[in-house]
Amino acid sequence: MNIIKKSTICRIVIDLVVLFCVIHGWWFIALPISLFALWSYSYYIEIILAGIIYDILFGFIPEVGFLGYIGTVVSVLIFLVVVMAKKVVRR
Amino acid sequence: MTYLKTDRHRLGSSISIISIVIACVVIVIIGVQFIAPQVLPTLFNSMAQPFWRAEFTVNAGALSSFEQLLLNNENLRRQILDANVRLETIKNVEKENEELRSLLNRASTTPKTLAAVLARPPYSAYDVLVIDIGSEYNLSTSSKVYADGGVLIGRVADISKDSSKVILFSSSGQKYEVLIGSSNLPAIATGRGGGQYEIQLPHGSNIIEGDFVTVPSLNNKPLGVVVSVKVDPVKPFETIIFSSPVNIYELRWVLVDTTNKR
Repeated sequence: MNIIKKSTICRIVIDLVVLFCVIHGWWFIALPISLFALWSYSYYIEIILAGIIYDILFGFIPEVGFLGYIGTVVSVLIFLVVVMAKKVVRR
Repeated sequence: MTYLKTDRHRLGSSISIISIVIACVVIVIIGVQFIAPQVLPTLFNSMAQPFWRAEFTVNAGALSSFEQLLLNNENLRRQILDANVRLETIKNVEKENEELRSLLNRASTTPKTLAAVLARPPYSAYDVLVIDIGSEYNLSTSSKVYADGGVLIGRVADISKDSSKVILFSSSGQKYEVLIGSSNLPAIATGRGGGQYEIQLPHGSNIIEGDFVTVPSLNNKPLGVVVSVKVDPVKPFETIIFSSPVNIYELRWVLVDTTNKR
């Protein structure tokens, strides 16, 4: 098995773990795993999907207002910050 | 002279493609939320329900050994027998209470439906409970939700087919009219999150720790108990912190008022 294949399988496993954690609301586990994956893999866009799914399951309540979208907003911000940080560090 | 070819152009284009994809995904989701706000939550809730039910079953002791289950069963039977004796006494008092209320034409005949709590704080970060009953149980977005002992804890905020979201009264920023202390002072309680509330009252209100906070209704069950009174001589108000008598982090079952009145 070549390295690319191994890396892809590892990424899919991490995706499943993150999805499982998000479904159960374990954001405090999903977040560090996602940060690790975001740093290790190029464009770990799954973090944004995880944020959106978390909000769909537990947020998206109009009365809570902006707070109901905090998962999506935070995941997009983390994604952008880490991608820029990686560009600067690995220049 | 020979130079290494840089990938700067390719990198830039891939970043812009990723940005466009992210923007498209976010715009599509916002659009769907605006046009049909129930579609995504219903879809994802039905996908997540088997996982939530599995977690609920495991927490309920489904994986315990046979001997352990028998022992638990025996202990629970004894507890039920003890509880039944006390329940009979309470029933008599409640019956007397109902009779007195019916004399005043204020008998409470509110039907309540039992619901399992599938997700609760701190896993749901918005002081929101997810319960396992939905639109088929005649719920409305004003249906009140009670914890064990009839303690009012919140109301239904979002209803899907098989599940609903309950916003707790203690959710940050939520405001409610309450009565506090032995003299039933009217006040506005503001949710602080995590089952706690805050009230601002003028100095000299004589509220002490342990005082009950109730909602203005015939229901005499407390909404909370005062846990702290902060007095700052510089400020004209004192801050009263009270918390719900039930632990919202340990809720497994709740009762939902299904009269469907607004």
